Amino acid sequence: MATDTYVMGIFGSEDQAVAAVHDLKKSAWPLVRTHSPIPSHKLAEAVQVKKSKAGWYTLFGGIIGFFSGFALAIFTAVRWDLIVSGKPVVALIPFVIVGFEFTILFAIFGNLIGFLHQSKLPRLANLKHYDSRLSGEHFGVLASCAADQQDGLQDLFRKNGGDVRVFDEQTPTNGR
Amino acid sequence: MPVEPVNGHNGHNWPNGLNWLNRLDWTHTMTELTFAKIDQTVLDTLVPARRNYWFTVVLLFLGILTGAACWVYQIFVGIGVGGQNIPVAWGTYLINFVFWVGIAHSGTLISAILHLFRAGWRNPIARAAETMTVFAVCVAGLFPFIHLGRVWLVYYMLPIPTQRTLWPNFTSPLVFDVVAISTYLTVSSLFWYTGLLPDLARVRDSAVGFRKKVFTWLSLGWTGAHEQWRHYARIYLFFAALATPLVISVHSVVSWDFALGIVPGWHTTIFAPYFVAGAIHSGLAMVLTLMIPLRKIFHYEEIITMHVLESVAKTIIFTGLIVGFAYSTEFFIAWYSHNSVEEAIFIYRAFGHYAYGFFIMLTCNTMVPLLFFFKSIRTSIPWLFGISILVNIGMWYERFVIIVTSVAHDFLPNSWGLYQPTLIELGIQLGAFCLFFFLFVLFVKHMPSVSMTEMKETVAQGEGHGH
Repeated sequence: MATDTYVMGIFGSEDQAVAAVHDLKKSAWPLVRTHSPIPSHKLAEAVQVKKSKAGWYTLFGGIIGFFSGFALAIFTAVRWDLIVSGKPVVALIPFVIVGFEFTILFAIFGNLIGFLHQSKLPRLANLKHYDSRLSGEHFGVLASCAADQQDGLQDLFRKNGGDVRVFDEQTPTNGR
Repeated sequence: MPVEPVNGHNGHNWPNGLNWLNRLDWTHTMTELTFAKIDQTVLDTLVPARRNYWFTVVLLFLGILTGAACWVYQIFVGIGVGGQNIPVAWGTYLINFVFWVGIAHSGTLISAILHLFRAGWRNPIARAAETMTVFAVCVAGLFPFIHLGRVWLVYYMLPIPTQRTLWPNFTSPLVFDVVAISTYLTVSSLFWYTGLLPDLARVRDSAVGFRKKVFTWLSLGWTGAHEQWRHYARIYLFFAALATPLVISVHSVVSWDFALGIVPGWHTTIFAPYFVAGAIHSGLAMVLTLMIPLRKIFHYEEIITMHVLESVAKTIIFTGLIVGFAYSTEFFIAWYSHNSVEEAIFIYRAFGHYAYGFFIMLTCNTMVPLLFFFKSIRTSIPWLFGISILVNIGMWYERFVIIVTSVAHDFLPNSWGLYQPTLIELGIQLGAFCLFFFLFVLFVKHMPSVSMTEMKETVAQGEGHGH
């Protein structure tokens, strides 16, 4: 099926958007994505989103940070390996603090990189098929269809109480 | 969008079993809020400012200039223009450093720890508290630079290869501080910005012209797609989970600047929890000091409800009791240990040259907050505001008492000495306070000072970022 037209249903309530997603899944038109002003459990369940993998980046960052912190402290200590007051040059207990702080710092870096990479941000092209009401109080469901089938898709959204917006190549981006 | 009244958790059972915090069930006061009303209230704060606002900004900027001029004078003349000298080598610069790091702590308490505890009342004030954290760490971070004297040699503290072929000593608590504070600044800034993303998108979608372009870039292409929320909710939880041990570690590390020394009054194992509790105590007081005018000026009464302020006040009672317990434990241990030097320093604190500071500390931090036990007081705006200021003063004096008295009166009488801040130090302190309020005032007029997204979630579900 040629999918060259994007149609968005814009709903005033979460339940309407969820109902539209369910109807869409029963139809032949593919769901592209949903939009919501808040993280919506109901929409997530309807779309059946999988668990995010961003946490693996966090874990990986934390492991790198843990070893980097210790490595930095040990490396700098052995540059001048003078024994002071009989205490070890490589003093592991105080180095735990450096290791701990680096673990947190790099885990956060991993967390952020994971988020940006997995969410494909920053990407201003995301605003191509978008409506400015969706960050306010409306919920959006975007689907695609062949140009000659858009009436049916529009009817599906209207039947669920939604406003409809059709995107084609001439449509200006991010306007109302 | 009209929203039905919702109590508590919308049937969602959280695995940590901490639902009791939401028994506060404060959402009943917010049922008249709608998504549109929240947006409108917050977006209204971003309209072009009036003359009074810019007058305040200019006044604060003049305060910053005063502080900067004092610092420049000190750089040219030398660190001796301050009152610090042997034996009291750490004066107001270190007092302010610890004070501002402390202020920074409640932002993370509110945004991260209370988020993990699902305390719904933190949502209206979380953004402003996070902002306060970022700016307070920036101000705190200035003081070690100021105290260095030869500030251009600050790179000695960084682990970089230089012509000196020397490296920082990672067994020193001062170097722990560099690592901890720079980590905290980085993490709290990233946490704050990530939390801002959905709101920046909201401002973008309502803005026009140049402002729209700026917010389009700042919001990174956020659209609230389910894929974005999926990852956002996950990483926000990790941010909170990682920031929580970090915030506890940071003030512990700051306390070890003192506790790892052998000076009487400093060398004690309770310093880490004592400092963390004190930090949260002062930070919560600063939250009230900032929120009360913000609520009035920006007409946030329906969002930052009296119940929210009351909840902060109740938490201040709790932290005040912890701080009071720490004060009494210090005295008890000094007596119980039979260590004559330790006994002498605590008698000196209470009855020596700086007794006024000790009693200001004791009264403002432990006794005055007990007034919040009375509902009529903790629901009165003038009382809330007044007590928050007193706690701020008390916490500043707590750091004064800790930092100055111990070294002023240590082991041997021949090494005793007194300290008094000079006008240059006070000018720098004035500049620091003005810088903090200057940044905060600029922020609240140009960025959403209440998280619209979290407020909408609160209204819809009675909780924070969903997962």
